[in-house]
Amino acid sequence: MPTILFNLGLAFMTSMMGLSLQRSHLISALLCLEGMMLTLFLMLTTWATEQQSSLLFSALMMLLTLSACGAGTGLSLLVTTTRTHGSSNMNNLNLLQC
Amino acid sequence: MHPSITSLLLIALSTSTIITMSSYHWMFAWAGLEINMLSMLPLISKEHHPRAVEATMKYFMTQAAASAMLIFASTINAWQTAQWDISLLTPSTPMMMLTLAITMKLGLAPFHFWLPEVSLGTTNSVMLIITTWQKLAPLAIIILLHNSLNHHLLTSLGLLSMVVGGWGGMNQLQIRKIMAYSSIAHMGWVVMILPKAPDLSLLYLMLYIMLNLTMFLIIISTALTKLTSLFSTQNKSFPMMILMALTLLSMGGLPPMTGFLPKWLILQELIYQHQTQMATLASLSTLLSLFFYLRLVFNAFLTTPPNTSNVTKNWRNQTNHHILLPQMMILSLMLLIITPLVISLF
Amino acid sequence: MLKIIIPTIFLLPVILLSNPKSTWMNFFINNLLISATSLTILKPQINTEWKFSSPYTGLDHISSPLLVLTTWLLPLMTLASQNSLKKEPYERKQLFLITLTLLQTFLLGAFCATDLALFYIMFEATLIPTLIIITRWGNQPERLNAGMYFLFYTLTASLPLLIALLTLYNLNNTLLITILHFLPQNTNPPSTSFFLWGACMMAFLVKMPLYGLHLWLPKAHVEAPIAGSMVLAAILLKLGGYGIIRTITMLTPMTKTMSIPFITLSLWGVVMTSLICLRQTDLKSLIAYSSVSHMGLVTAASLIHTEWSLTGAIILMVAHGLVSSALFCLSNFNYERINNRTLLLVRSMQLIMPLLSTWWLLFNLLNMALPPTINLMGELLIITAMFNWSPPTILITGAGVVLTACYSLHMFLTTQHSKFSNHLASMQMTNTREHLLMSLHMIPMVLLMFKPELVWSGTY
Repeated sequence: MPTILFNLGLAFMTSMMGLSLQRSHLISALLCLEGMMLTLFLMLTTWATEQQSSLLFSALMMLLTLSACGAGTGLSLLVTTTRTHGSSNMNNLNLLQC
Repeated sequence: MHPSITSLLLIALSTSTIITMSSYHWMFAWAGLEINMLSMLPLISKEHHPRAVEATMKYFMTQAAASAMLIFASTINAWQTAQWDISLLTPSTPMMMLTLAITMKLGLAPFHFWLPEVSLGTTNSVMLIITTWQKLAPLAIIILLHNSLNHHLLTSLGLLSMVVGGWGGMNQLQIRKIMAYSSIAHMGWVVMILPKAPDLSLLYLMLYIMLNLTMFLIIISTALTKLTSLFSTQNKSFPMMILMALTLLSMGGLPPMTGFLPKWLILQELIYQHQTQMATLASLSTLLSLFFYLRLVFNAFLTTPPNTSNVTKNWRNQTNHHILLPQMMILSLMLLIITPLVISLF
Repeated sequence: MLKIIIPTIFLLPVILLSNPKSTWMNFFINNLLISATSLTILKPQINTEWKFSSPYTGLDHISSPLLVLTTWLLPLMTLASQNSLKKEPYERKQLFLITLTLLQTFLLGAFCATDLALFYIMFEATLIPTLIIITRWGNQPERLNAGMYFLFYTLTASLPLLIALLTLYNLNNTLLITILHFLPQNTNPPSTSFFLWGACMMAFLVKMPLYGLHLWLPKAHVEAPIAGSMVLAAILLKLGGYGIIRTITMLTPMTKTMSIPFITLSLWGVVMTSLICLRQTDLKSLIAYSSVSHMGLVTAASLIHTEWSLTGAIILMVAHGLVSSALFCLSNFNYERINNRTLLLVRSMQLIMPLLSTWWLLFNLLNMALPPTINLMGELLIITAMFNWSPPTILITGAGVVLTACYSLHMFLTTQHSKFSNHLASMQMTNTREHLLMSLHMIPMVLLMFKPELVWSGTY
């Protein structure tokens, strides 16, 4: 089991790294966010099957639902950003800097 | 935005915070935080212009990443201990990650960059929600956990954000950005005292919310945006500017006013626990924040407005005094007198 | 105590509700009544005992002369700033008077507090009204800078004081001055008491100001309006000396070694600031530096803390409070007429305003401590006490006295006696208000000359 946890943790960390280091494309950042959520889903399912507990299944549904909501919001924000800023390039998000 | 949609969003906002605060299971706490974020996003992007969209994007990115980190940390904890209860957490490495996730949600020092930028892209009232109501849920989680968190990490994050908040606000010209940096500095105080005396951090949070509410009510009712717009506001309502200046000095923690109360009690607690150096550092870091408050004070009523200058006159001439303003003003200026009562309460 | 503090607070309704035409008069008369009431606490006391009005407020022989000085000075400030506020709208005049009243309330609180926490809060609370007076009613744009200097010098030094007071509270479970004197203080480890001493003293040394930490004072004086200068020179600096006298008794074992560099620095500052005075071109700045020099003597005297030196310090504080405030008023009379403070441009005033020249002469003589005055009494006591502490100090204090005489005469001669220049020809005459102001400064000086026991601390 520790290997699974290690691998999943590594996957989460990699996508977190991708999110924080992504500087050009908004869509890649959103994909990294989705990757994080999916890794979490995998972690929770493996944990639930290992513990043989059905307690978490509703919680798993909640996780999936809310991460889908988050992804949808992210995509809609991507569209809005493209409309207002001209492109989905991350370097364009600099109106608020000082 | 249609009023019914706004009210729906506000209800979702308040309900989700209450869900997080009252939850016993990590999953529900996380769900509360997520719903909170999702209902905040339309409020931020209420105005249809590029800056609001950008602010929404930044808010979304940081908050989503922070909640993912939070649930990741609790999952790792569950793998190790097979526990999902919030209160049954053991001090371990995932706790460090959880602390960082929550500081990201609160906008504390190394993860504070989103807060001033979001503050610039939104309206004043939304910024008021971000700096007050949105602090409650993450702080509720760490106050629940204050025994098992890493004390050194929290203390150093607190000190760091006091200093960074003070330094960051020094060269700002937008009032909302200054308020964002002041929020960073104040949150630093809250988090610094949290591992030692959670009651005091709760007290600090309450008084900070009160002072911040007063300040934002003034800003909203006079439609202030920049430092230079303070000049034209002086002609419209001079007494309001005086009271705003006093409120700012109270936020800076100058003695005869409310802002001194929580700082005094926190310093006393630090010294009681023999941490004199930290108390000295913390008290001196207020000077940094005081510098930019003082700049606002100078512009608010200590200089007469120049007649021929590049100040454009604000055409929105009516000031809508909020009905809560006088009461809040009294509370945020004169509460130092009730210090004995406060001490006896805690 | 309450018979002074409550009328002072009730000056606020007097300001707000009076008929606009008679506001100044009502305020002034009420103030004079308050100061007349306060004279009752100025009894010569046989022994140095406290008179308590509540567990946290009380007066003794050290605080009562300073408290009377405070109440005496508020009517004088209103009298002095009447002309400079003439063109302001009525609301701002009211705001000015409210600020002065609040300042007076906080000062009274600071002088009658027996609890050091209350003293600290009142000490800090005086900052805000003073900042408002300096930066709201000052004349040049540099006043903002001066306000910043004032606030940040004072706060940087006094936040460690707060930490030190809380530490003391933690050690002794009380901050009452009357009890702290009798508690043993040598139980701390040496490093703690070192920092405790430094933190307790530094706030007051900056406020005094000690030479080297004095840069905020000339700035604040030059930029402040007349009322601000008067209250700064007369009372706020004395708050520093009062604080030193109050706190030094509970830091006794460290004081013997720790105070030596500060005494040296303050005595050195007496000579240095007097020399700076000799080459000043700005009249107000000259007077400001002269008060730094006098306060250097007071600092040294309160740091060695013997009976004689304390008596000298109190007498010199009261005397200097009245004299420096009067000198600032005199320079303000010139400033209101010529709109300039440069010494070169304001000369030969004797030809134009001979009566004012008399006041200049009198107050310069008082400033250089001419024999019958209480300034001399204070300086002599301090010099004697210093000589007793260490004989070589007579060289520095002697030089200080000589240089004080030099710059006072220099100030008098350049303003009154030089060549007449034509731009002064059409000048407004002096009026009754100004003479009243000067006599109200002079009368207490003369009366104190006849009965110095009033400010003399009670042991003699």
